[in-house]
Amino acid sequence: MVIKQTEQKESMLKRGWWLILLIIIFLIAPAFLSEFYLTVLCEALVMSLFALSFNLLFGYMGQLSFGQAAFYGLGGYTVAMLITKVQFNFWLSIIAGVLVASVIGLIVGFFCVRLRGIYFAVLTLAFGQLIFSVVFKWHDFTGGDDGIQGVFPPEFLKSPTNYYYFLLIVFLLSAFVLWKIIHSPFGQTIISMRENSERTEFLGIHIAKYQLITFVIAAAFAGLAGAIWVPFYRSVAPSYLTWIKSGEPVMAAILGGPGLFFGPVLGMFIMTFFHSWVLGFTIYWPVVMGALILAVIFFLPGGILGFIQEKVNERKEIRNRE
Amino acid sequence: MFLQTQGITKEFGKLRAVNEVSLEIVKGDIHAIIGPNGAGKSTYFNLVTGYHRATSGKVLFKGKEITNLPAYSRCNLGITRSFQITSIYPKLTVYESVLMGLLSHRKVTLNFFSSAKKFFKEEVWRTLEDVGLADQANTLGDSISHGDKKRLELAITLGTEPELLCLDEPTCGMSPEETDIAMGLIKKFSEERGLTILFTEHDMSVVFGIAKRISVLHQGTLIADGTPQEVRASKEVQKVYLGGSA
Ligand SMILES: Nc1ncnc2c1ncn2[C@@H]1O[C@H](COP(=O)(O)OP(=O)(O)OP(=O)(O)O)[C@@H](O)[C@H]1O
Ligand SMILES: [Mg+2]
Repeated sequence: MVIKQTEQKESMLKRGWWLILLIIIFLIAPAFLSEFYLTVLCEALVMSLFALSFNLLFGYMGQLSFGQAAFYGLGGYTVAMLITKVQFNFWLSIIAGVLVASVIGLIVGFFCVRLRGIYFAVLTLAFGQLIFSVVFKWHDFTGGDDGIQGVFPPEFLKSPTNYYYFLLIVFLLSAFVLWKIIHSPFGQTIISMRENSERTEFLGIHIAKYQLITFVIAAAFAGLAGAIWVPFYRSVAPSYLTWIKSGEPVMAAILGGPGLFFGPVLGMFIMTFFHSWVLGFTIYWPVVMGALILAVIFFLPGGILGFIQEKVNERKEIRNRE
Repeated sequence: MFLQTQGITKEFGKLRAVNEVSLEIVKGDIHAIIGPNGAGKSTYFNLVTGYHRATSGKVLFKGKEITNLPAYSRCNLGITRSFQITSIYPKLTVYESVLMGLLSHRKVTLNFFSSAKKFFKEEVWRTLEDVGLADQANTLGDSISHGDKKRLELAITLGTEPELLCLDEPTCGMSPEETDIAMGLIKKFSEERGLTILFTEHDMSVVFGIAKRISVLHQGTLIADGTPQEVRASKEVQKVYLGGSA
């Protein structure tokens, strides 16, 4: 037992090392990146937060949501409308964005959590498209297909570097909170629901209630991602809410590995950087991406990070045996 | 009065799987439900535990009507069950699986920020030791033997510290040695933890060896209910079920 515990601490330290290293790299990144790639990095961070919110439902609770972009878009639209129409405070606008996404998440979730599997996926898709249509059609209120332009952050956040640091802080804090949630008794409960919902219900868990709470948390973080992105991009458009946008975290999770906390983050980084790089010489980006996803599904069923983890574990086992 | 069903009936289309069964389970008893294949034993369990809703009749637990309560609320009142087809967590470790029952029962599942692994260490280890799975604590649920899976399910349900534990064929598929161990455990828990146990079982030597009361179902109908001696003596039971061999 004693030996086991020190071993655990050691591996914790080792794990901690690469995280600290990564954070240092992120902290000094603006010094090395062109403005173009700094922008890409910002997008990758925001989309990673979006993917983490999605993966709470998909990777941990085991339900595929195909309407997650609706909450991302709602967060973005709330901020855009509050800042441009009533010159609302930037910080309060972001909080409002999270709140709007959560409240709509509660309403949509109320209907969706009664279903599981493919029915859940289809209903979230339907609700997502419904919310998209409202935003798209309600021209007077949302600007319709024109979207909303001129969404500016406060003066000191106007430089991309400063905004990058703001995004980095929000991302790290959110990732920390989500990490804590997943490893909490609540997290253990939704993982158990994924593994065997019948067994879990017969241990006294009201499945729909826990699904609803998870749905709202996921909506809140998706809303936060949208809310912090829009003032950086200075504009918002209805395309943020479409099912195509909802598909991005799905692909990122599968690419990086839905079973690991940072899997979807890795997936989003690959997708975002790959996208901006490929666009330089071909417009057939979806074809390239599709091929990549296909390759991962066939050859690395646990995703790229899942594959790496597996190899590391194998090596550890060999070392332990020696 | 502990658990009581009053004229409980379950119909699947035209089939009456359980037909007006009125039965009382006494607190602290080890109570067996027996009957040939398709007699309605599992369906009766399903009505008691909330897996199915009764077509008619009532289920009362400690004087409270629970006929239409969902399964999770019945569990929270103290009724837990195992399934005929073992229901465990294939991709969770044995330790995590047992922990889940405790997290739920001790009402900490709405804790979002503490580490789940820090909870109830003593209780989990004690339960694992009680059922003899401590040495496999870090093994995944689907990598242990069939008999161990059955014991794991028992351990998971014990985590909810039930008052009434319903075990649907707890030794099904076990070797005779494993069966002895499992039945010994069940008896021990009943004595040590004051558990009331309702179980079904095909092996008559097991049933008559451990049960304090036996109820016999035949085509959904209760045809006998009493002590092992009384049931053994019942003409009707001999006719339809024991085939005179007892
Ligand atoms: N969900 C269901 N839908 C339709 N019929 C069912 C259902 N569950 C059970 N039955 C039928 O009800 C009858 C009783 O089944 P039950 O599973 O309760 O029997 P049992 O006594 O547990 O049998 P066994 O010893 O084989 O486990 C059977 O004829 C079965 O086919
Ligand atoms: Mg049965």
